Amino acid sequence: MDALEVRDLTKKFRRGRGLKKREILAVNNVSFSICEGEIFGLLGPNGAGKTTLVRCVATLLIPEAGKILIFGRDIFENSLWARASIGLLTSGERTLYWKLSAVDNLKFFAALYGLTPKERDKRIEYLLELLGLKDVANERVEKYSSGMKQKLSLARSLLHDPKILLLDEPTLGLDPAFSRFIRRFIKEELQRKEKKTILLTTHYMDEADELCDRIAFINCGRIVDVKTPEEYKREMPHKEVLEIRFIGAVEKSAIERIPTVEKASVFSKDGVTTLKIIAPHTEEILSAALAVLGNENKILAINNLQPTLEDVFIHLTGASLKDDLREYTGDEE
Amino acid sequence: MRTFRVIKAEITKTAKIWLTYPIMIIFWGIFPLVWVLPFIFQGKAFVGGLTSESFKTLTGTGNYLSFVLLGAIISTYIFSGLWGVGNSLREETYWGTLEYMIISPTHPLVILIGKTVVEFIYATFMVATQSLVAVFLLGLKVGLHQLLPVVLIVLLLLVGFYGLAIAFAGFTLLVKEVHGWVHTLEWIFYLFSPIRYPVEVNPITKVISLLIPLTYALVAVRAVILLNKNILSLGKIILLLSIMDAIFLAAGIFLFDYLEKKTRRLGTLAMH
Repeated sequence: MDALEVRDLTKKFRRGRGLKKREILAVNNVSFSICEGEIFGLLGPNGAGKTTLVRCVATLLIPEAGKILIFGRDIFENSLWARASIGLLTSGERTLYWKLSAVDNLKFFAALYGLTPKERDKRIEYLLELLGLKDVANERVEKYSSGMKQKLSLARSLLHDPKILLLDEPTLGLDPAFSRFIRRFIKEELQRKEKKTILLTTHYMDEADELCDRIAFINCGRIVDVKTPEEYKREMPHKEVLEIRFIGAVEKSAIERIPTVEKASVFSKDGVTTLKIIAPHTEEILSAALAVLGNENKILAINNLQPTLEDVFIHLTGASLKDDLREYTGDEE
Repeated sequence: MRTFRVIKAEITKTAKIWLTYPIMIIFWGIFPLVWVLPFIFQGKAFVGGLTSESFKTLTGTGNYLSFVLLGAIISTYIFSGLWGVGNSLREETYWGTLEYMIISPTHPLVILIGKTVVEFIYATFMVATQSLVAVFLLGLKVGLHQLLPVVLIVLLLLVGFYGLAIAFAGFTLLVKEVHGWVHTLEWIFYLFSPIRYPVEVNPITKVISLLIPLTYALVAVRAVILLNKNILSLGKIILLLSIMDAIFLAAGIFLFDYLEKKTRRLGTLAMH
């Protein structure tokens, strides 16, 4: 039996009023299932529908259509039971009581999860030790760094020892050291030792590659494909990726008109534009690409790369994981 | 047992957070001692003292100050409840903790009952302080035999009122607006129930006041304390408050459940 099954799930949001009223299809007829003990990744750009999906599974959103089953039981018909089986971790620091200590935060949530005082104290001590927060356990959370707050959030999601964990962008905004710690903890502690079933959303391809047994690419509310990271990479055995970093701008369509170019993506950050071109032999298209860029763009670097998961995503969807598809910034990420 | 643990956890959490704001403790320590001064000055300015014959023809008592003191003390429960219970889930939204409460296996209604108990304890502390000030410093006369009937009337008022406050908490989850609504309700209560003045002074306020349970509670409490009436003579009011309790509590629970689900359907639970 699958630990988690999502069947034909559809979630719409209505935004605006009067003539400006519109409907956003955040999750469009999505289906997938996760085996017990598996780490299943949802990989896609901001606004692709990842967080909406996780919130539906967490019962925080009620979908328009479809079913979500945990160990064969409908979560909306058994919502309190389902909530006891799920632990949720989201990104962002503002999910704890900053004026309380780690211990007081955990004690409060332990009461909501129905732990007896004896169970609670034992579990809190174990988790704080495991996550390296024991020395600061009685300090107010407002004094914690972002990484420490995320560790405490992780401890809260594990308080009731849930069978299923929903990790929504767990390393977003963390420095590399904390990110590494969280990733190692997810793989070693949660999956290998505790055999948790994990639904992980991320837009970091290396995170998905490192942690996930299977990955669903999600774009514009739809699941594009579900495979293991290795299967995805094997899909592009005869492809190369040309990356050109420059200062300036270029039309993606102009690049895609170059013969043999299969897909291109353009992404700008901090004044630097990154153009990625997927083609069978990138050296054959380099001069044509540079001609399209012309003299008005200042070239900073040219690299010939092996395809990554992100390139597979571009190949499948034409969109980059760094894109931002958000139409509004409410519940969605 | 589990519900009790949730309520206890909510009390502990709120007290610990509250104690981290020392200025609030100082404010609420002093506030119960000074709030009544404007009423005393106002009464003296109007009638040259604290009793009035024309006031007596409307209310049965000429003691304007005692009338206002009782109105203010009892309404403390109402305004504190509106802010405290109505705003409590919105407060969790600001802290970013609401979703983590909702995804726990504790029914949201139990969480809200915990918050209501916290608010009741807090309001009772305020009311007790105000009452001590009113009795020992301002000369409000209350006999020990009058306490039990007053407590009964206040409890009858609060059961129904907290039902409304629970519905209001659900409503604020949906509309994302607390201050405007609370202020509006506050002024409706001030204008159309006899908190500060006898509503009989105006035919419109007199009629509208009949729709507000606070009116009946204030009439009953004043009848017991100021007119020395026996609770048995207030049978009609007690019955009316009991019926209102049943209706408001059931409606409050139903509406909260409906509004909380509607908010999850709209996807606006964590929105500010």
